[in-house]
Amino acid sequence: MGWEEVQVRGYPEFVRTAQSYHGRAIFALFCGDKDAEGRSWCPDCVTAEPIVRKELHNLPDESVFIYCLVGDRAYWKDPNNEFRKNLKLTGVPTLLKYGTPQKLVEEECFKGELVRMLFTED
Amino acid sequence: LFLKKHKGSNDTSQYHLQALIEAAKYGKKVMVLDFVTPTPQGSSWGLGGTCVNVGCIPKKLMHQAALLGQALQDSRKFGWHFTEEVKHNWMTMTESVQNYIGSLNWGYRVALRDSKVTYENAYGEFVGPHTIKATNKKGIEKLYTAERFLIATGERPRYLGIPGDKEYCISSDDLFSLPYCPGKTLVVGASYVALECAGFLAGLGLDVTVMVRSILLRGFDQDMANRIGEYMKDHGVNFIREFVPIKVEQVEEGTPGILKVTAKSTTGDQIIEGEYNTVLLAIGRDPCTRKIGLDKVGVSINEKTGKIPVNDEEQTNVPYIYAVGDILQDKLELTPVAIQAGRLLVRRLYAGATTKCDYVNVPTTVFTPLEYGACGYSEETAVEKFGEENIEVYHSNFWPLEWTVPSRDNNKCYAKIICNIQDNERVIGFHILGPNAGEVTQGFAAAIKCGLTKEQLDSTVGIHPVCAEVCIQSHLKVTSKSCIHGILG
Repeated sequence: MGWEEVQVRGYPEFVRTAQSYHGRAIFALFCGDKDAEGRSWCPDCVTAEPIVRKELHNLPDESVFIYCLVGDRAYWKDPNNEFRKNLKLTGVPTLLKYGTPQKLVEEECFKGELVRMLFTED
Repeated sequence: LFLKKHKGSNDTSQYHLQALIEAAKYGKKVMVLDFVTPTPQGSSWGLGGTCVNVGCIPKKLMHQAALLGQALQDSRKFGWHFTEEVKHNWMTMTESVQNYIGSLNWGYRVALRDSKVTYENAYGEFVGPHTIKATNKKGIEKLYTAERFLIATGERPRYLGIPGDKEYCISSDDLFSLPYCPGKTLVVGASYVALECAGFLAGLGLDVTVMVRSILLRGFDQDMANRIGEYMKDHGVNFIREFVPIKVEQVEEGTPGILKVTAKSTTGDQIIEGEYNTVLLAIGRDPCTRKIGLDKVGVSINEKTGKIPVNDEEQTNVPYIYAVGDILQDKLELTPVAIQAGRLLVRRLYAGATTKCDYVNVPTTVFTPLEYGACGYSEETAVEKFGEENIEVYHSNFWPLEWTVPSRDNNKCYAKIICNIQDNERVIGFHILGPNAGEVTQGFAAAIKCGLTKEQLDSTVGIHPVCAEVCIQSHLKVTSKSCIHGILG
């Protein structure tokens, strides 16, 4: 079986989803919310998403890719939001391998080579 | 075989990576081969070398864990009230430390990839001129050629060569990722690795014994070394002096289990036995130079020690092969020295620079429970080199203000400055035993590099109230020349 994608919004839904896939490799991309036209308030997320999506075919078999919208700009700016506090996220976009220190933050997500390395390394 | 012109290099560490990233910046094609042969206990680790994975970084973090335990005790005297007994959890600490190391390993992966340095997790060995064979953990072999090579394979802990050593003992390679609390521990050795590990294990509340063959901290100022030992003894570390283990047997399996150690006196026939949960060997480190095919390319090594002699430009006897780091003969085994050497080498090779690595007056710090910072000559070496009548030693005990309220260790901290009378009382040796010794020593190392004299030190105004001010004249006493170890302040 190849890899699968799940889309979630907000911290509680993210945690529930990650827990439900316990035992499988989980990769997550965190982006700012999108408006009615599908554009994120976060310009770096707009740049990064297609680059990350282009590398998804490198995901290992049986792994899960969680696409997570974190919230609106005001929520994100709050230094005590749950993503910052519990997942230690420092910026969006963040692409990470859940449960490991492996992650790419902001401009690092613009580099297809680094995204590929994250998806294929052990 | 497709010939690629690139500079290959064998094994790596953070210093090495920095040098290679620089080389890549100058337009060279660069490859890194890094591979960790698992320990006898099966431990292994990621990219970054000894310092990051099984050296400086986890050591300092665990030392900090122990210091925090002490701070918690002190805090009661400063008014903090907590009714629960304070206990330490090994797994919580180790997990945090390993997590941090993991983020460093990843950081290096990103940095290399970003700089277009090719990285292979494979064991490299020379098979012929300009040619290296890389074998990955699945046994797949590849050949690479390069214009130049940089060897930075570092060292690994030495074993005793006695029955039971590899089966039952651990080393620093295993300690920092040990998946269970080591419990009652016997540390064999008197190196800084041995004393630092024994120190933090005791600080975390474990029953620790150190078995020493002869002296403590060979190569370091012996007066300072003995003060470190005394402090550790006063703080509950047991020392067995002038004994060496001759046999390690397993009494009970487990994590940890129970081991029986039999040891023999170095001065007579006496045999002693002891039982411990863990035996940690820290008797020295040996260079990884014997199984990388150096003979195939004619690189000479010191057959006895395994170290590689290089000229002052880090070049081996084979002109296209260079070496940096702990494997070098007659050079200091320190991360920053290797970083400096690697960086300068790359700049000389590819950026037209001429600066060579300065191995003189390199500061160091030993992170024993009472920390020791040093730069320059030990007292014995200064006496040997300049003559007792030509050096002046200024020294003083001191009591950190922070230790007064909790009534801790009055008059155990100590500072010593050695001056060359014939050269304007130039400061040629700086030694301090006390908290934050590394932080204190760094600044003085820069001053010493600028040629600090006693007069300049005297004319520097002290900062009050800090430990470092003891190094400024008003707090030191001159020793009498006829007796180097004079009156303590």
